[in-house]
Amino acid sequence: MDDYVVTVLSNIGMISFIALSAYLLLITGEISFGQQAYFGLSAYAAGAATSMFGLPIWAAVLIGACTAGLMAMAVGALTLRLSGLYFSISTLAFAEMMRLILLIVEVQVEVDGEMVGPDGANGFHDIRWMFERDISLTEFMLFIYGLLALVLIALLLVERSRLGSVFRMLGSDDLLTEMQGLNTVRYRILAAGMAGAIAGIGGALYAHFTTYVEPQFFNVMLGVHALAYGLIGGLGTAFGPLVGVAIDIGFLEAVRFIQGYRMIVFGGLVAVLLIFMPRGILDEERVHRLKALFSRGNHARAERH
Amino acid sequence: MLELRGLSKHFGGVKALDGLDLTVDEGDIFGLIGPNGSGKSTTINLICGVYGETAGTVHFRGNLMNGKPPHTRLRAGIARTFQNIRLFPNLTVWQNLWVAQNSSQDVSAHGFLPRWFGATRRTRKEIARLLELADLGHKGDELASNLAFGEQRRLEFARAAAARPKLLLLDEPAAGMSRQEIDNLGRRIRRMRDSGVTILLVEHVMELVMGVTEQIAVLNFGYKIAFGTPGEVQRDKAVQEAYLGTSASKSRPVDGSA
Repeated sequence: MDDYVVTVLSNIGMISFIALSAYLLLITGEISFGQQAYFGLSAYAAGAATSMFGLPIWAAVLIGACTAGLMAMAVGALTLRLSGLYFSISTLAFAEMMRLILLIVEVQVEVDGEMVGPDGANGFHDIRWMFERDISLTEFMLFIYGLLALVLIALLLVERSRLGSVFRMLGSDDLLTEMQGLNTVRYRILAAGMAGAIAGIGGALYAHFTTYVEPQFFNVMLGVHALAYGLIGGLGTAFGPLVGVAIDIGFLEAVRFIQGYRMIVFGGLVAVLLIFMPRGILDEERVHRLKALFSRGNHARAERH
Repeated sequence: MLELRGLSKHFGGVKALDGLDLTVDEGDIFGLIGPNGSGKSTTINLICGVYGETAGTVHFRGNLMNGKPPHTRLRAGIARTFQNIRLFPNLTVWQNLWVAQNSSQDVSAHGFLPRWFGATRRTRKEIARLLELADLGHKGDELASNLAFGEQRRLEFARAAAARPKLLLLDEPAAGMSRQEIDNLGRRIRRMRDSGVTILLVEHVMELVMGVTEQIAVLNFGYKIAFGTPGEVQRDKAVQEAYLGTSASKSRPVDGSA
């Protein structure tokens, strides 16, 4: 594979994390315009872990994901009592705040005679882990997709579990969920933390793939795209947002005659889909029918006992 | 079982409920009736914690419930149904009953893994039994949104039962039901009580209320105006006035078409 294809595929993989992150919140009924903040926060934290402190990549990803997850839970604890639009606005406000803070953070240390670390508006240069270890783009792409597979499997397991049902319950009827004896605020904070951590994994990978991050990349358009992926691909299964990413970056980026008009086509696509398929291509109803084709389901299993 | 003392709820200047005293004994089927806007639904919402009370107290099995959120009250044993059917449309019928299983009533049957990643055999059996009781035996894998109206009502009732409540609040469960469905509902309510659940029934359909309840309280404009057995309440002057108006001379029809 040539470097261009590997780069596009890697981008698809990394953006998929933030798409899954926004998706997880969408199924709990929360529209967040701020998932890019956790992507960016983790990119900085993970970048610092390898370039400034010489930690291995897995530790960097872990640190990035945990930092983002904990921050998302803290923000969630403050904002999740807000409902609907107010929550959405607060996520946007927080993300912009994050971005502006990163613009003024300058923490540099000397490593091998060079200054390394976040340098305010100049961004964070020389996250050179890949070069130092002589990792090829293809190898790193495989690493990205390995982690993506793990996250996807984890999410699919969650959806099969009772927790998955609880998340969908939060998305459809808050009061009724409360009436099932479930502390809705606690589950929302949990979902926010999980979503933050997933975005964080993507951010940590991104920092090491590009070797350079700057606050400007984590602007609101990234968060809006993340939301759109779930809405296009469908909210019925974790595969939905991946379909959305593949359509946007894979198809729209690849088809030549669309180039230059990508954002226009993308915006139109979102509008058309929201009218005809308000919960995306793979919505709950279609996913349910697909599942019925392949399995006999919970109930049939119960009857065999 | 349930004791309301001076319970009040004011929305701005509107007194939706004002100083309600009510005692529901264990094992009762207790009726709460009254014209529209008399405070019945408000009472239910106060008991299960959807609203905070303006004044007064709610005691459940001797414990003060004021200020406790709905999920705590459910765990204590207060379940309800809704006037407008409320289900989780994106979950299957089976999942609707699964998530309603109240673990606090039976901790031993719910280890971490079975609780979160698959129901125990016992829970599966329990759900199968609930499906059977609700005549939904073959609908378990259906999405709740795909059920017919009557089936949705039965599922809602089954879900309330799945929480293994000690007190069940039924908010107009017979709304929109046919006569035969109402008869069935009456049987379900009695069977529920016989299994040890105390029931507070808010209802407009008088055949159901008069048929199944043992005690009735009547509300009007946020006040309790009568209390007694179905027979006593029916003969009560204040109740007749609340439902039918005061006297013919004051409510003469204005035009002939009425």
